[in-house]
Order: sequence, then structure tokens, then C-alpha cells
Amino acid sequence: MNAGRRQQTARVAAAALLLAPAMAIISLGFVAPLIRLAILSFSAPAGPLAAYRELATVDVYRIVLRNTVILALVVTAVSLAIGFALALMLIRLEAAWRAVIFACVVLPLWISVLVRTFSWMLILESNGPLNRFLVALGIVDRPLPLLFAFPGVAIGMVHVLLPYSVLPIYAALSRIDPALLRASGGLGASPATTFRRVLLPLSARGLATAATFTFLLSLGFFVTPALLGGPSDTTISMLIDSFVEERLDWPLAAAASMTLLVMALAVIGLAGRFVPVGALSEVR
Amino acid sequence: MTPAGAWTKAFAALLAAAIVIPVLAVAPLAFSKQSFLQLPPHDWSLRWWEVFFADASWFRALMTSFEVATLSCLLSVAAGTSAALGLPRLGPRMRTIASGLFLGPLVAPVIVLAVGLYALARSFGLVGSTLGLVLAHTMLALPYVVLNVGVSVAALDPRLALAASGLGANPWRVFRTVTLPSILPGMLGGGVFAFVTSFDEVVLAVFLAGPNVKTLPVRIWEDVRVEYTPVVAVAATIMIVLAVIGSAVGRLATRGTA
Repeated sequence: MNAGRRQQTARVAAAALLLAPAMAIISLGFVAPLIRLAILSFSAPAGPLAAYRELATVDVYRIVLRNTVILALVVTAVSLAIGFALALMLIRLEAAWRAVIFACVVLPLWISVLVRTFSWMLILESNGPLNRFLVALGIVDRPLPLLFAFPGVAIGMVHVLLPYSVLPIYAALSRIDPALLRASGGLGASPATTFRRVLLPLSARGLATAATFTFLLSLGFFVTPALLGGPSDTTISMLIDSFVEERLDWPLAAAASMTLLVMALAVIGLAGRFVPVGALSEVR
Repeated sequence: MTPAGAWTKAFAALLAAAIVIPVLAVAPLAFSKQSFLQLPPHDWSLRWWEVFFADASWFRALMTSFEVATLSCLLSVAAGTSAALGLPRLGPRMRTIASGLFLGPLVAPVIVLAVGLYALARSFGLVGSTLGLVLAHTMLALPYVVLNVGVSVAALDPRLALAASGLGANPWRVFRTVTLPSILPGMLGGGVFAFVTSFDEVVLAVFLAGPNVKTLPVRIWEDVRVEYTPVVAVAATIMIVLAVIGSAVGRLATRGTA
């Protein structure tokens, strides 16, 4: 009895010792900065809630907040559609093909978001290859304003976030028993009915995971909208950056940061019951 | 499910090309002769590579990136491996809390972390220091290491360590001869993730960098927004090549654990 307890104490002590360095890094680099921001957000000279009040009442800030959510919704919807189509194709391809396409899907995850966004700047510009292609084909008369505009931001973000859709949906689809789909077809269901009644419900969890990851990451995205967007495509993360770098208004920057953080936590809280948020780390 | 026909294959190949080509589109410009950034380049030359390596500030940024990535990789592998070994020894509730805390840096918006770290680093005089950058990147990379090593630790048969200590090996010897060899692939995989995470990271680095300590992504970030020459394409190409090497090494390292 006594020996058992001593052994358990030793076990806990060993665990604490082993976890101490990582906990120190997380406390210093993650917890402490967030606490500092929380305190700063209530430290506006005009009163503890002044920064939050300013965020909630100034029209420009409300528009930015709304734009951020709309952008995140659009990016999530498009990513899910393309991701589902791609995952469906991946499942049906033979092994060698699948390996190649799969490698193409995950390769971008290794390459810096900054580099990928920079590439899109070159592709999307009015004299860039995409516009010249469209003009040459006669699809448009003059180059489309893609760069420094909403389409550019959306294209760039879908491209960067696509793997976070494809991988969870692919995982869900590959768990479906092919016999079910054959049975559905054999019983006379059209491909559309099989898709709606069998494929979609059975992959719902994967779709929910994909939607959560993509929406969560879109909300706080900074590099891509900052480089590909125009003045009217400002997102909340760019607003935070301008509060710090240009206006030097720390309480306002901190309050906007807290708002974004709470939005992200709300997404995790709402989706966390159905979706393994921890799996985010497995995507790469 | 019906096997893929020619159309599906063609469409899948098209989508894959649409994913990969935009990533690599910048590379040809690194070898262009013209002095403005436009695709496709008309003439070829290595002049921008010469400019890159002749410009002390670009070269220093590359070296700073290597330094910061190497240090954060070593630190996060050491702390992360230790944590991955400690986690299974905790009770179920403490384990949930600790694992949740380790996931934090992955789900928190990076701009929020950047501004928070900047605010904190300012009060400690760590803005523009290598130490500040290394700590920030170590924090960011830690979840990947804890996860990767955690997979190896879970696959470990606890009876082996028990047998070794029963045969008289001290804890350090048990770790060195039994535990370490089995978790080494996980450590390597996590280490590669950590290195690439730091090497690629730009937002924390932009906020924590200073005039003397700038990583390569910070230099690219500044140049993309101000002057716009093919030197940036050279820097971007270097980052792509290193990332591809990293992904290959990472795949080799994690092959044993999966």
C-alpha cells in the first residue's frame, strides 16, 4: 500500500519533470502573450471597455468583421466543393495514379504560404499568364481585375487551404464500404441518388471536419489577404496589423485580437463536439 | 465504387496541375534575364542568383533563417520528446488538459500570437533578437514534435523497458538502449516538421524581427511589398527547394513509424 503510493508519487514526479520544458515554452510563448493581450485590451485610456466599444460601433470595423466572415464562408464553401470532387476522384483512381495525385495535394503544405501567395501575385496580375490566357481564348475582352481584389484573395486562399479539405474528406470516403454503393446502384438508385442518400451522409463527418479546419484557418488568415487583397478586402487580421504598425493603438489591437481569438474558440467549441480538432496537426 | 475512367483521370490530373503549377510558377523567374517580375520570362540568365549572393543582406537573411530554424528544431525536439514521454504517465484528466495546451498554437490565429508575442517581447527587449524568434518558432513547432514522437511512444512496448530495468539497467541506460532507438524515427520526423515550420514562418517573424535579425521570409515579405525584382524569385525558389528536400526527408523519417 505504502510502496504503491510512493511508486505513484514517483510516477507523477517523473511526468512533471518530463513535461516541464515544453510547458515552460508553451507558457512563455503561448499563454503569457495571450494574457498580456487580454490585459492590454482593457487598458484603453478612455475606460476599460472603450476599445471594445470602438470596435463594435465604428462602421469601418464592423464592415471589416463582416467581410472577414463572408470571405471565410466563401473560401470554405469553394474548398469543400473542390475538395469533395478531388477526394472522390482519389478514391476511384488506381494505386499508382492515386499516389501521384495525392503527392500533388500535399506538396504545397510544405511550401511557405508566403511563397505560394507570391506566386499567385505573378499569376493573377493584369498582365499575368491567367489574364492573357483568358483574353487569348476570347473569354474576356480585357484583363480581369483579379489581383488586389476579392477574386484574387479567394483564389489564393482556396489554393492554400485546399489540403485541409481534401485530406479529411478523403479519409472519410475511404472508410465507406464500396459494397454499400454497389448495393445502392444495384437496387436501382441513380448515381445522383446514391450520392445524396449514401455517399453524402456517410462522409458527413469528414465534410464537417474539413469545413471546421478551413473556416477556422480562413478567419485568422493574414499573409494571403494582405498580399492579394485591395483596400476593400481588409480582413480582421490586417486590421490588427494596422492597429499595431500604423496607429500604434495597443488597446485597440489587443481588443481586436481578443475578438478574433474568441471567434476562433467559438468555432472550436461549436464544432469540437463533432469534429476532432486535434487532428488539425495530422494534416501535414 | 466504379473504377476511374479516362475522363476522371484527365480531370484529376488537371486539378493536380492546378494545385502544383501555381506553387512552382515563381521558379522560372529566378532564372530570367529581365529586371521586372513577369511570367513567363523571355530570356534566361543567372544574374539574379549573382545579385542574391552578392547582396550581404539577402545572404545574411538566409543564414539567419538557417540559424533560427536549426535552434528551434533542436529545442522543440528536446522539449517535445520529453513531453511526449511524460504525457502517458499523467492521469487521464491531466493528460487531456496538457494535450489541449499543446494544440493551442495550432488553432490560435497566428496574427493574434504575433501581436501578443510582440507586446511581450517589447517589454523584455527581445524584439529584433534571435532568442525571441527562436522561442516563438519553438512554441509553434512543439505540437508537431509532441504528436510525431507521441505516435512512436504509443507504439512502444512498455514490457521492453521493464525487462531492461529488471535486468539491471539504470533509467538512463534503459532510455538510451531501449526507448531512444524506437522513438528516433518520430523524433526525426518531428524535427523535420519543426525545421520547415520555422524556415517557412513569416508572420511571427515579421513582428519579432529587427534590422539586424531578419529571416528570409521577412526579407521576401518586405521586398514583395516595396521593390519588386526577380531577386525575390530567387529567394522564393531557394525556399521551395529546401521545402521539397524537407518533405522528402520527412517522408523517409516517418516511414518507419506509420
